[in-house]
Amino acid sequence: MKKTGFDQTAPTKRHASLEMTESTPSKDSSALKTSNENDEPQPVKRISDDDLYRNSTQYRLWSFSKESLQNKRKLLSADIAARFDSKIQSFIEKEGAQLSSDEIEGLQKEMVPITAHEFLQIVTLYAQKVQLFGTKLKLPTEVTSTAVVFFKKYYLENSVLDVHPKNMIFTCMFLACKAENYFINIESFAAKVKQPKESILMHEFPLLESLKFTLMVHHPFKSLHGFFLDIQSILYGKVDMQYLGTVYEKTKKILVDSILTDVAYLYTPPQITLAALLKEDEQLTLKYLELKLLGFNINKEVLNEAEQKRKEQHDKILQTVRECLREMDVSYMPSRDEAWRIDARIHYYLDPMAFIKRIRKQKEAQTSGEPAQKKVKVEQ
Amino acid sequence: MSQQDTFADQTGGVPPASADYNQPSSSSSPRSAHTSNAGSGQPFSKFKQLEKIGKGTYATVYKGLNTKTGQYVALKEVQLDSEEGTPSTAIREISLMKELKHENIVRLYDVIHTESKLTLVFEFMDNDLKQYMDNVYRQRQKTLGTTENVPKGLDLALVKFFAYQLLNGVNFCHENRILHRDLKPQNLLINKNLQLKLGDFGLARAFGIPVATFSSEVVTLWYRAPDVLLGSRNYFTSIDMWSCGCIIAEMITGKPLFPGNKDEHQLKLIFEALGTPNVLGDDTWCRNLPKYTPEIQSLGIYPKDMKDVLGITANQNVDPQLLDLLSCLLQLNPDLRISSQQALEHPWFQDLRAQIM
Repeated sequence: MKKTGFDQTAPTKRHASLEMTESTPSKDSSALKTSNENDEPQPVKRISDDDLYRNSTQYRLWSFSKESLQNKRKLLSADIAARFDSKIQSFIEKEGAQLSSDEIEGLQKEMVPITAHEFLQIVTLYAQKVQLFGTKLKLPTEVTSTAVVFFKKYYLENSVLDVHPKNMIFTCMFLACKAENYFINIESFAAKVKQPKESILMHEFPLLESLKFTLMVHHPFKSLHGFFLDIQSILYGKVDMQYLGTVYEKTKKILVDSILTDVAYLYTPPQITLAALLKEDEQLTLKYLELKLLGFNINKEVLNEAEQKRKEQHDKILQTVRECLREMDVSYMPSRDEAWRIDARIHYYLDPMAFIKRIRKQKEAQTSGEPAQKKVKVEQ
Repeated sequence: MSQQDTFADQTGGVPPASADYNQPSSSSSPRSAHTSNAGSGQPFSKFKQLEKIGKGTYATVYKGLNTKTGQYVALKEVQLDSEEGTPSTAIREISLMKELKHENIVRLYDVIHTESKLTLVFEFMDNDLKQYMDNVYRQRQKTLGTTENVPKGLDLALVKFFAYQLLNGVNFCHENRILHRDLKPQNLLINKNLQLKLGDFGLARAFGIPVATFSSEVVTLWYRAPDVLLGSRNYFTSIDMWSCGCIIAEMITGKPLFPGNKDEHQLKLIFEALGTPNVLGDDTWCRNLPKYTPEIQSLGIYPKDMKDVLGITANQNVDPQLLDLLSCLLQLNPDLRISSQQALEHPWFQDLRAQIM
């Protein structure tokens, strides 16, 4: 029998992003206060929180390097491109006889496959809708956040061409309620979101499967709570408590927004939290890290060996956190116009005839000139 | 098909501890996930469903045979409620089991979906602890050729082996911020190699997640704040530790330690054995609990000797360290009850630890 059963050889998927947690075992922080001469080896080994996180499915299955995340998305968009192509071809083969050459040309020109970036944009747009509905239904932040994470993971595994994002919103929310132990009866949930319950339940299993049945999501909110308490004790007497309270609230808001970015795939919850703290109040966060990890003034010039080591570690953590912050500032939210254009192409992919009908209508309007357009306006 | 295909790989022999069960088959295109098992007429072609082996909190369990590999599995069938979709108990069990991979926790291999039911495919275990103890008792009656005065408990060396594995599994749950909440002999599974594993996480609950991980002090601080303590692991995990005490006692005697029939009765049995809080000198921990009634407060019961609690006769020899471990686990005050970690480090396990390491 092993002592812990933990797989110590868990693959390290990221290099820089994990340095922070790896190079700062609790021993180092206790070294800030006392020397640890009395550190006797324990008969049964304690598992650190970092070990725990490394064994979570969130880390093992849902954490990526930037490249592997990109590759995953490229695969999906390549699939989309191929499907657009074959859809246009088979449509022309089948309906070509009744299409003009202008119409065929227009079809080929306008029905451009969704790119990887556009895919991400449209998913981000609807992920935000999950958040909006969560707020509307007054779900706890954790539950809504889990729903968003489910939603985003689903579209990391599936194409927007199969199930339109708008049809996954409520399934993700309903499953998140169950997974987070926040019970809502399907009848009342369906009534609240004004959807037939069948349409919510029909996607549940495909969703579960796409999530590989891993439903435990570690949000950064708990980390924020932990850091908040620690900042209070480290900066005790140096900072106004009431002010700290507002920092907490604002940082939480930043974390909620960050769920729409890629940070959760690339960084650990504490790293994301420190990045959000840095974004909210850089001075405070830098001071905290200095006192916490260095224990001496950051501008001190001559350092002994131990201090040098701590300085390196401090700098490494800060570098990772800054990288995370940069990623956090990358938004994939499309403009209204962009969103409309992407959505339209998904629509035309599903129903190319709708596109032809639109061209014909436009043409009609053009040939009959001004009056027709006016007429439309009047009708509206 | 993706689920079944990956399962075929998984059950091909005993997988290495680090094997990742969750990796999707790389060959499946993004689209194929939708068609998984829906509509396939033979969803269990790889499994032959054998006899029923039990009923869990929300499902029926069958023994199953993987016809490809010849391995036995346990098939836990959950009826899908057309009203609510997948039952939330099943959702939570799946969610927790996916995070818990440990030698003392029964392994969830796979989840299979058919039109009307969900099947969780678990590692097969031969018995639960209750059945195992019954079998030992029956065997003993046969060997002795009598039903009179046959001891029902397990051999103390085996009690120690099982108890250590139980605490090890519980410790892993607690390290992962998960409470089992329903530990009982029926939920502890035993295989032919006398491995003991925790099963049935239908009532289990996650109670927190890793917090600010670069500092041990954050955790310490967290525990210190009384309002936060209400949700901290020390307070809640003590629920499982009490159960461990009761189970270990039951393994020794072969009889449930406190077989109460309702809340008040259960409390009465416990107090009669372990004394009442006020007599024990400190009832501050329970003074504000809603069910700490004036009647209970007026009781003045003194604790019995642990040997008497177990009903062990004076001439029977029980290791005093085992009795000490039991009294550490069976502390009325949850704050005084030892943690799984401390229990594993208890001197009673010293020889076992030495063997393992």
